[in-house]
Amino acid sequence: MNTEVKLHPSTELLNQFIQGELVTGKSVVVSAHMELCKSCRAKAEELQAHAVSSWVDPGSALQSDQPSEVDYSSMLASIVKSPQIKSEPIEELVEIDIDVLNHSIKLPKVLAKAASEGLQWKKVAGGISEAHLFLDNETLCEFIYMAPGCQVPVHTHQGSESTLVLDGSFEDELGEYKASDFIIRDGQHNHQPRSKEGCLCFAVLDSPLKFTEGLARLMNPINSYKFKKATSRLA
Amino acid sequence: MYRNYAKQDVFSNEVGLTVRLASMNTSTTSLDTEEAEDSAVSDESLLIAVGNTQDINAFNQLFERFSKKIFALGMKLTRNEQLANDLIQEAMLNVWQKAPLYDLDKGSAKGWIFTLSRNRCFDMLRKQKRQPSTISADDIWPLESGAEPASVHDDMAGQQVELSLIEGYFDQLSDPQRAVVEQIYIKDRTHEEAAAYLQIPLGTLKSRLRLGVAKLRNLIGVDQ
Ligand SMILES: [Zn+2]
Repeated sequence: MNTEVKLHPSTELLNQFIQGELVTGKSVVVSAHMELCKSCRAKAEELQAHAVSSWVDPGSALQSDQPSEVDYSSMLASIVKSPQIKSEPIEELVEIDIDVLNHSIKLPKVLAKAASEGLQWKKVAGGISEAHLFLDNETLCEFIYMAPGCQVPVHTHQGSESTLVLDGSFEDELGEYKASDFIIRDGQHNHQPRSKEGCLCFAVLDSPLKFTEGLARLMNPINSYKFKKATSRLA
Repeated sequence: MYRNYAKQDVFSNEVGLTVRLASMNTSTTSLDTEEAEDSAVSDESLLIAVGNTQDINAFNQLFERFSKKIFALGMKLTRNEQLANDLIQEAMLNVWQKAPLYDLDKGSAKGWIFTLSRNRCFDMLRKQKRQPSTISADDIWPLESGAEPASVHDDMAGQQVELSLIEGYFDQLSDPQRAVVEQIYIKDRTHEEAAAYLQIPLGTLKSRLRLGVAKLRNLIGVDQ
């Protein structure tokens, strides 16, 4: 199955992921892809080894002087008083299956954890359902289910959208995407995804979609309202 | 000093690195002897001493080696001096607490400390930005253990396998695995005692034990 994955996060994105530079939503979608993709796991391991050696390299650009007035001795003294952990805590395993038509789809662990407080599915337009996840204040994260034969209105993105295909497939002007594929779309793409067999995806948007055609334009204000709502709950 | 057989084969590249760093240092300033001696002890040995014997001196040396790096990482990711200082506390506390879980077979000490530091920084930032806690850094970067944390000890005892039968297969284990299985099942030491005796981290002991026992059971033909 792994060998069939065609589309992966770029090396740059994987590197940002490893360095901890991505916002939570983006980190989650990259992590979920890695759970499904052996070759990205191997690549990330290499990138991490590289990141670590430049981290400890005394000649590295990544150097900051600690403020000298800070006294670390009390910090050290309090740390060594804490108890140590002798065995890996037994994690409670969160499993979530999403039922579609005639089968159910088991979510990657990181997505199951992210969705552990429950998913509220909403039908949005002809055959499309969405369930939002609130992961951070900068992205819109959602599961998207496209029923067989349905089509998303033509749209472009203001920011970038990372999509991970979890089950089934969809296609647009640029190609066909299958389970485990990781797709990035930005403002340059004007696309219209459609799915013959039905498709479950997890998508993370930097900013709201902008519909560009016909009556779909009417959805614009609603769409950005939805974005604000989803990303400002705790702000 | 903190010698053990595993260090040599797993971290043979460490030697090259130490030499390179040392030569860089001498070109600028001359090292005093004590410092030169300290840098000869590997990060791994220090971490093992912290995990196995709560060696405060070894921990101080790790703090010395890594606190500046952790601060720099914190500055890069948070751009906030206060948070970067908090990260030193959070990350080094985590190093202390989790030292017994460090697994020598899965990577270098600095890689392990980097991972802990990055993860604590990520969680600190999430908290600071008041993001929900449904997901944490350890979910996003899971440990590649692939291991069920179940106690191997109890597992094996329940099987009532003749010791002599096992011994016949002993030589098919790798040296490190055999040493661990021997400590636990023949010398009847606790995990902690065996890790201290072999001078390997508790985490490494457990993973070698798990692999060794799985292999033995496989050879003997006990159902998994
Ligand atoms: Zn991949």
